[in-house]
Amino acid sequence: METIVDAQNLRKTYRRSDGPDIEAVKGVDLSIRRGEIFSLLGPNGAGKTTTISMISGLVSPTEGDAVIGGHSITKQPMAAKRLMGFVPQEIALYPELSARQNLLFFGRMYGLGGRKLSRRVDDLLAFLELHERRNDRIDTFSGGMKRRVNIAAGLLHKPQLIYMDEPTVGIDPQSRRRILDTVKQLRDEDGMTVLYTTHLMEEAQELSDRVGIMDHGEIIAMGTHAELTQQVGEEDRLEFTVSGGVADGAPARIQREVAGVTRVLYDAPEQAGAESVEPAAARLTVFARHGRTALPPIIQVLDSAGLVIQSVAVREPDLEAVFLALTGRELRD
Amino acid sequence: MRPILTIVLNDLRIFLSQRGNLVGLLVIPVLLTVVIGWSLGQFVGGGQARLRVDLIDLDATGMSARLIDELRATNGALVLCPLDNDADDYCSLDGEALDLNRAIERARAGGTEALIVVPAGYAAALENFQRASIDYYSMSDPLQPDAVLQSLEAVLQRVNGASMTAGVAGALLDNVTTGLDLPAFDESVRKEFLGALYRNAEQKLIEMPAPVSFETGEEEAGGDASDNGFNQSAPGMGSLYVMFTVLGGMAVLLRERRQWTLQRLMALPLSRAQILGSKIVVYFVLGMIQYMIVFAVGGVAGMDFGDDPLALLAVMAAFVLCITALTFALAPWIRSEGQARGFVLLLSLSLAPLGGAWWPLEIVPDFMRTLGHLSPVAWAMDGFQDLIWYSGGFGDVLPEIGVLLAAAAVLFVVGVRGFRYG
Ligand SMILES: Nc1ncnc2c1ncn2[C@@H]1O[C@H](COP(=O)(O)OP(=O)(O)OP(=O)(O)O)[C@@H](O)[C@H]1O
Ligand SMILES: [Mg+2]
Repeated sequence: METIVDAQNLRKTYRRSDGPDIEAVKGVDLSIRRGEIFSLLGPNGAGKTTTISMISGLVSPTEGDAVIGGHSITKQPMAAKRLMGFVPQEIALYPELSARQNLLFFGRMYGLGGRKLSRRVDDLLAFLELHERRNDRIDTFSGGMKRRVNIAAGLLHKPQLIYMDEPTVGIDPQSRRRILDTVKQLRDEDGMTVLYTTHLMEEAQELSDRVGIMDHGEIIAMGTHAELTQQVGEEDRLEFTVSGGVADGAPARIQREVAGVTRVLYDAPEQAGAESVEPAAARLTVFARHGRTALPPIIQVLDSAGLVIQSVAVREPDLEAVFLALTGRELRD
Repeated sequence: MRPILTIVLNDLRIFLSQRGNLVGLLVIPVLLTVVIGWSLGQFVGGGQARLRVDLIDLDATGMSARLIDELRATNGALVLCPLDNDADDYCSLDGEALDLNRAIERARAGGTEALIVVPAGYAAALENFQRASIDYYSMSDPLQPDAVLQSLEAVLQRVNGASMTAGVAGALLDNVTTGLDLPAFDESVRKEFLGALYRNAEQKLIEMPAPVSFETGEEEAGGDASDNGFNQSAPGMGSLYVMFTVLGGMAVLLRERRQWTLQRLMALPLSRAQILGSKIVVYFVLGMIQYMIVFAVGGVAGMDFGDDPLALLAVMAAFVLCITALTFALAPWIRSEGQARGFVLLLSLSLAPLGGAWWPLEIVPDFMRTLGHLSPVAWAMDGFQDLIWYSGGFGDVLPEIGVLLAAAAVLFVVGVRGFRYG
């Protein structure tokens, strides 16, 4: 399949006068194929925005280069930028203008005009259910409505390639659903290539053809969902929340006595403050080859250790597990 | 070119749709121009400056009449009472005669600026080449310049100077004739010779520029511009508010970066030069709009635009360009929008008075005038003055335009060099 974005050894170091330099991105290689949705998944500060900023020409890389549709973003930025649309993580709209005026302006900047542009703007506003508010100023919009206009502004010229940097941050589930559907529709109906960033595992999992997992400025794993989960094996993940004293020896006993268990992670209960009413809860994560069959014996062990189980969840291999396996940390924190 | 135009129109629309900006662009400058225009107009006398001066001629000779004529010619603002009283009785004589006592009383009571008395024997003294004295009464503060007294002294210097010259020549002549034992001159020849010398000297002194000039007074006779306060207030307030408006552009890149529209623009197929260029055009246009608004107010109030509207426009454009260049030379050094606001106030409120936006630089001490020309406002005001007060043309303001454009060029280079993206 044809490659539309090919980034080699992208590196960005922010120099600071009052402290150590920040290595925001430390040598990222990335190749995105035409027509796919590629997600960069990573926690806050992983370097997702910095990576997108370099391959969209907003920030010049300290080292490395990216080729967009055959044009180097550092050497032929104009030609490269013509191919792409951009939905920044922040709302990038003129607050004093109406939704419609904003879209008309950015449409004109992409060389559109006349009735064609005005039709396109109205279509997008209707599609994003903003038709009624089209003539209201952006600064009177709710966060979710601004997000939708922000997305529309990147789609006006129907680019071959669109970058969407955390486009669902801070909006309700209904709007999020709509945005995710929109993204899939862009790929399936318009054949667009989408580079999508998120810190939400579910979004990356649902949308992407391929995912790159980022942490501390590096891509630590990349591939399809199946390829990535294979890396952590066929293990299920059992998550327990338990309370009632110290789990003395329980994790070790589970590992020893329960068949199929490969690893047990134990998060000590958070220090409950004096004002806290609820008993302190500890988190226990058990990796097991056959989660469902391992569940009853584990519960027995916990019971006999005098622990009260507050909740149990059995998760099949997912990106969360991959991240956990690779970093020892959870994505959500 | 089209993207630049699109950005410019969009930015102007945003700027002009802001109520706060309209207050700064329209309401306050218009109010200030009107208030200052009116008060300056009051100050200058709302038409003609006139000084009521009583003059009593006890000599009543041709010579004293000449003195009075010269006095009138030297300062057109003087109304010599009762000689020059008008139909409205400007002299407030109420139809009564003006004798010496009444005139002294009037001067003491402040009813007149001064009283001038030409004593009897004035002409005789002059003709005998003696110093002729004039009596002068005034209640004005001896430490303040007195326009009437200065006019009178200028005239007397001329008249006495001529008389003294002839007197000295006559004495010299007598000395020479006696010293060399020559036969004495025939009296009529001698008188004719010295008379000619007197007239000659007087002519020379008249041709020489008077030591004190009262040009404003003379120009008023020609219906000149200085009588309308808006001729000072419109260019002055216009220039001040051009600075407020245009320098505000220092923060535009910061603001657009904060609201991420700059990043969106940068993700477009646009060069950095195009983005910077369009912002420069926006603030240049806003500056010109600002001048137009304030000068329109001046126009309604009857100010004079001089004889060369194109040259006037050129001075405005050169000044606005210079301030725009200053704005974008400073922009890269600004770290926050609050800091920018501080800078705008500091620069506008120091460069404006320094450059004569509030009051004409003519009235400040020499060194302040020189210092004032560090401010671009001074060059613009010089240009406006040449065009509006002295009805100059393009050629007269070329130096001012040249200085402003040169400063603009230097500042633009600084600005473009300093323009960085984060
Ligand atoms: N302009 C900058 N100057 C200095 N440091 C920066 C700058 N921009 C980003 N960083 C640093 O680079 C690192 C990566 O930031 P980046 O915004 O790329 O992360 P991210 O993955 O997009 O995070 P998030 O999910 O919170 O958006 C962070 O440590 C951040 O503080
Ligand atoms: Mg980010």
